[in-house]
Amino acid sequence: MTGRVTADDGSVLPGVNISLKGTNRGTTTNSQGDYTISAETGGTLVFSFIGFQSQEVTVGSQSTINIALKNDVSQLQEVVVTAQGIERKRNELVYAAQQVTAEQITQTRSTNLMSSLSGKVAGLDIRNTNSMGGSTSTVIRGYKSITGNNQALYVIDGVPVSNANNNTATQASGGAGADYGNAASDINPDNVASINVLKGAAATALYGSRAANGVILITTKQGKKNSFDVTVNSGVTWGQIDKSTFVKYQKEYGAGYGGAKDFYSGDLGSGVAPIASFDSDASFGPKFDPNLQVYQWDTFDRASPNFGKTRPWVAAQNGPDKFYETGVTSNQSVSIAGGGSNSTFKLGYTRNDEKGVLPNSKLGKNLFNFSASFDILPKLTVNANVSYSQIKGIGRYGTGYSGKNPNQQFRQWFQTNVDLVEQKDAYFRNQQNVTWNWANHTTATGNYPIYSDNPYWSRYQNFSNDTRDNFFGNTGATYKIASWVDFTGRFSYNGTSDLQEERVALGSSGTSNYTRFNRLFNETNLDLILNFRKSITKDVHFVGVLGSNMRRSRETSIRASTNGGLTVPNLYALSNSINPIEAPTEFERKIGVDGIYAQASFGFKELINLELSARQDKSTTLPKANNTYFYPSVGANFVFSELPALKANWLTRGKLSANYAEVGNDAPWGSINNVYAKPTGIGSIPYFSLPDIKNNSNLKSERTRNLEFGLETGFLNDRLGADITWYRSSTIDQILPVNVTSATGYTQMYINSGEVQNKGIEIAAYITPIKTQDFSWTVNVNFARNRNKVMSLYGDVQNVPIASLQGGVSINAGFLKDATTGKITGLPFGIIRGTNFSYNDKGEKIVGTNGMYKATASSSEVIGDPNPDWIGGLSNTVKYKSVSLMFLIDVRHGGDFWSLDQWYGEGTGMYPITAGLNELGNPKRDPVTNDSKSGGVLYPGVQADGSVNTVRAGNTDGGGSTAYGYPANPPRAQYIYDASYVKLREVALTFGVPQSVVSKLKAFKAIDLSIIGRNLWIIHKNSEFSDPEEGLGSAIGAGAGGYQTGSYPAVRSYGFNVKFRF
Amino acid sequence: MKKLLILFLPILLLTACVDSLDDYNVDTKRASAVPAVTLFSNSLKGLADVLTTPSVNTNNFRLYVQQWSTTTYLDEPRYNLTARTIPLSIWRTLYRDVLSDLNESKRLVNADATLLADVKNNELAQIEIMQIYAWSVLVNTFGNVPYTEAFSDNPLPKYDDAKTVYDDLLTRLDAALTKIAPASAGFAAGDLIYKGKMASWVKFGNSLKLKLAMVIADSDAAKAKTLVAAASANVFTANADKAAFPYIGTPPNYNPIAQNLNIIYSTRQDYVAASTFVNPMNELSDPRRASFFTPTAAGTYVGGNYGFLNTYSSFSHVGTKIIEPTLEGLLLDYSEVEFLLAEAVERGFITTGTAADHYNKAITASITYWGSTAAEAATYLAQPKVAYTTATGDWKQKIGTQKWFALYNRGYEAWVEWRRLDYPKLSPPTGGTAPAGLAIPVRLIYPNDEPTLNPVNLKAAAAAIGGDLATVKLWWDKF
Repeated sequence: MTGRVTADDGSVLPGVNISLKGTNRGTTTNSQGDYTISAETGGTLVFSFIGFQSQEVTVGSQSTINIALKNDVSQLQEVVVTAQGIERKRNELVYAAQQVTAEQITQTRSTNLMSSLSGKVAGLDIRNTNSMGGSTSTVIRGYKSITGNNQALYVIDGVPVSNANNNTATQASGGAGADYGNAASDINPDNVASINVLKGAAATALYGSRAANGVILITTKQGKKNSFDVTVNSGVTWGQIDKSTFVKYQKEYGAGYGGAKDFYSGDLGSGVAPIASFDSDASFGPKFDPNLQVYQWDTFDRASPNFGKTRPWVAAQNGPDKFYETGVTSNQSVSIAGGGSNSTFKLGYTRNDEKGVLPNSKLGKNLFNFSASFDILPKLTVNANVSYSQIKGIGRYGTGYSGKNPNQQFRQWFQTNVDLVEQKDAYFRNQQNVTWNWANHTTATGNYPIYSDNPYWSRYQNFSNDTRDNFFGNTGATYKIASWVDFTGRFSYNGTSDLQEERVALGSSGTSNYTRFNRLFNETNLDLILNFRKSITKDVHFVGVLGSNMRRSRETSIRASTNGGLTVPNLYALSNSINPIEAPTEFERKIGVDGIYAQASFGFKELINLELSARQDKSTTLPKANNTYFYPSVGANFVFSELPALKANWLTRGKLSANYAEVGNDAPWGSINNVYAKPTGIGSIPYFSLPDIKNNSNLKSERTRNLEFGLETGFLNDRLGADITWYRSSTIDQILPVNVTSATGYTQMYINSGEVQNKGIEIAAYITPIKTQDFSWTVNVNFARNRNKVMSLYGDVQNVPIASLQGGVSINAGFLKDATTGKITGLPFGIIRGTNFSYNDKGEKIVGTNGMYKATASSSEVIGDPNPDWIGGLSNTVKYKSVSLMFLIDVRHGGDFWSLDQWYGEGTGMYPITAGLNELGNPKRDPVTNDSKSGGVLYPGVQADGSVNTVRAGNTDGGGSTAYGYPANPPRAQYIYDASYVKLREVALTFGVPQSVVSKLKAFKAIDLSIIGRNLWIIHKNSEFSDPEEGLGSAIGAGAGGYQTGSYPAVRSYGFNVKFRF
Repeated sequence: MKKLLILFLPILLLTACVDSLDDYNVDTKRASAVPAVTLFSNSLKGLADVLTTPSVNTNNFRLYVQQWSTTTYLDEPRYNLTARTIPLSIWRTLYRDVLSDLNESKRLVNADATLLADVKNNELAQIEIMQIYAWSVLVNTFGNVPYTEAFSDNPLPKYDDAKTVYDDLLTRLDAALTKIAPASAGFAAGDLIYKGKMASWVKFGNSLKLKLAMVIADSDAAKAKTLVAAASANVFTANADKAAFPYIGTPPNYNPIAQNLNIIYSTRQDYVAASTFVNPMNELSDPRRASFFTPTAAGTYVGGNYGFLNTYSSFSHVGTKIIEPTLEGLLLDYSEVEFLLAEAVERGFITTGTAADHYNKAITASITYWGSTAAEAATYLAQPKVAYTTATGDWKQKIGTQKWFALYNRGYEAWVEWRRLDYPKLSPPTGGTAPAGLAIPVRLIYPNDEPTLNPVNLKAAAAAIGGDLATVKLWWDKF
């Protein structure tokens, strides 16, 4: 029996379930809506598909049954998985929830589930880093907590998985480290059936306090009854850096700080000649001259053909962009799913191999999952899900201001005469640290790197490695007590074990070192839930939930380092420490939270729904007297499209909803009782010290209040429609470790205060302008605008620095208070402070006597706001027969970041702006002479007396006569950049091999081929040399971003994928 | 229905469990009770570190008094106090890591009911002397600082008048000195300076008193005179009396100079000797140069141009003795005391000995401390440019110049003495690429986060001292 299943408008329906009643035979339609099933005359075929009415057809003598399924009233009837896995019809929801399908997530084969959500959900702000396997910040509806966690909670089949990362505090604040990613990035995208993003507090109320930042609810694929399906997926993508997000270098001047004459002189083997200033990590040196023979860094490399020789003084042929290689990601997965008449199962395995764009970087993932359900008794179903992931990383990218991040050299401290291919050869000849940055220009032997190592040495010797094993799963049973009530008990477990090892080899510029970090984390949840569903009268339906949750988590970790260097080369063990190691840092953190909750929903004629819910939590992290907190929510909707008067063809669906919810939250572990810090004692004399943070034994729970209104509409058979949501939330009584003056004896104190408001609007709209039998075109648009304001902190304090960063800027939470009226103006969370331009009364920039813009005396001026004005996504899907083309454009408008890369890099004379000609047509690097031959840079502005500026800033060297960057100490505001971008994020061209061909190949049910691309084109951006999206992962300044240091270029990836179904 | 009730029960009962988890919020890896002496020991290291470290993030006083210069990075020798959080770093270390631990140590000693009265008094005196030392550094660096309301629960402590604080410190010091019972024990092994020898603490306390009193000699001569006269009989009498922190060869208890400058721990080449300092030493053939600096390839001592770019290999570097990980961190030494006594004679505060006597003893103490012989010291002193009677200038210039040499590697002390004695005459970098209008700081500006953390009190303090500027002189800095 074969046939094709279509919708009643003629479009083909892939994925429709077809089963033969009374048997365990079953199949699904392929991408053309075609199916094949063997059935006997007289049997009954059941066609079922979400959003459509099921249909049964008795098999007669025919061998082909083509069938058109009818829309199931409207999309409002679509079943949506909500909090605690409770399935609800869409029109029963009183809050915003946006669903993403499996197809949308996997079509461009990103190995990171989170980054594949970017641009697809209104109000979901995804921030990726460009490092391999790095953490992804996922924030829903803005930043709510001033210093705490703002990351959304991931819940996978009822198992909560935290998106927190375990990178060091130094890494998080822009210092040395590596970004090891987070457990949520280990979720297998191929195993996901659907994702529902629960945005507001009313939607997440049943999850309690930890869901205060929203929930990404993931439902994994399950086997279907009476079916058997094998899917094999195989794909490869290649990645290369996007050069528009990398540095460009001036090609006129080479190594040095001291300007035109900055050569040493001496005889290093071929007679007396100029010697490049190796020890300068800057390009403010002499002008290039191909006729000038100069000793360069390779004159010290005995293995080099240039050993002891001079070379022409010219710009490098191969710049640092050559350091980046082509990344390759391969993805192979197989899944077997199926079921009998009373059981289902699914078994999946995915293998990911990623070779990063940096030399010696690799990330391997093995992802296994198994799920099964079994109807033991007619009323009792048991099920279990288990997932195991194994991640192995080598050479994760070093981040921040660190020699392990090659961009510290390439973007901040570098010589434009250094050829990266020559550096590569120099390293590989003998695997030695042949640097371009020798400490000494006189000794031919015993020389060593002063600041920078050979970047290949860094990658191949000073690499990190890590493993992460994550096991999570649940087992549960559902018992149907009566037709209107069932009981579910579920036990879930999530266990993670991490090992991170970092090394600095002997022979590097820094002290050799080995550091290891071991961490074990586990969390158990026991959930008992009663679900009620009953019609009270013909028109009034009741849905109720009564449940409890018992959560226990335990985290233990230990971090230890060698002390004072390594004894023997290439042995990375704590025992190889020169000095006895310092006591490792140990933690044991245990948290217990018990919650009970109830929810009652009443529906009237599918026209009006009213929902009430309440939850009470009791947490161990709060003082016993205050450890219980209760919070309610209430919501209602009105499905106006069900009004008899509006029942018309043009209005497919229409719903108004409103809700109000509160969510309580507990304190971070260990914020109540004071303990002593333990510095390393001297010899046998021990030290103890008061800690830097003062705890607070009177903490009470913090609280978020949330108000939301929504309108959902669909027209003309859902050919177009829009969901619009407006919300306002305010988080009060925040539990904050706020910064205080150290005159208190502490640098931070835990307090219960402060208020942060978020309000915004989200729009998700779609239109299908063309839809015929063979051709369709659909456009989806997401738009979100969030306004965030800090309204109060504590006492009279108006600003709390969240992170004080290198370069003299800080990320802050604060507000302005008018001294006379007392009026409070909230400032956005994460504002960047530093010195600003000085303006005169007319708003003109004042230029100082050195020709540079004059900075304000105060370094706490507001100079930037990292929050975007709005974010959005636009996706287009065009289908013609079995070919479909999808592309997604991701937009972020507004928001600022401060760049340490430009601050240092312009100061060291690497960037094109620091060379070339000034407005008189003279070289900028010529001395300022106040005549027509003058060099220097003339900044537009006025002098202190209001006259037009005529003073040129000197730009002859990096020793103070520098018109750019740090040596000139200009206002920090000069190095603020706009973070807007428009990116062509995803492109996928998919071709389903026609059924007529597939059926000849007997073994296959379907074959899909696709060509895919990610991040192919940055259509627009305002930051000239970097990817405006690049930040420091999910931890910096509570994830607020707004700062770039050693930022990685964006990676364009493209490849293909083949999917077979058997 | 009954079945349903049975299922309700566990749901409701579950929530009572949390209360039994008594150990969940307890930090099992950190101590909640510790001996008082451990906090005292830790504060000694904190104080020694902040005064000894050459880290550009914290302590740039060796640059301000032009003993050193930098090679490549010019922010610090050109007195930029905001590119790095230098004032914050000093402020934070003294308040949070030194004074706060001493406070806590005092609280624990006072709360200990088992201590003998004499021992308790001695321990409290040891704590008090170190607190007074640390407070004096804060006050003499910033001027008005939070004092009476510091270390309270008030997150917005008011700033107190510097002079009032200083006078209180002097009163407290007298009270502490009378408390000491020299024959009894105090903190012993954990007293890293004197190993519990209370007689040494008497000397140290009196030497500190002499030093603190002399700071106010120009602003309150009468008070200074009384204090100096009272203290001078009980001060250090030999190099061995010095108060020094005994750094060991193992990080993190090694000398922070080694951490920053010794090739074992850092390949950086940030500092060379400053010509301002080396040239006059060369002129006097000072025997300490061999300890202070490395000779250049030509075998001479050459200093770099202060405040400008310098080629590392062309100049003398910081001496190998100075960058030893085990070099002790001096808090107060005999040479310093003799210089103070010389000055006290000149000012008419005391009459024991002559100024020249004390001056000679001071220089001899310094030269022998750095490894030269008494004979070499005598030769040095015999030069007309050194000899007290023939050296150039008034007593302020003679003592100021020689004390500047003796306080090499003691950047903070040298900076205090330079402000107080107004010698040697130092000029900020001028000409070339140096911006116009540079001025050597005579105080540090308040930390960069105070304007947001304690704005109202900070504003009042800045107004009271005449503006939060590095060019505003403190109350005792009359000339």
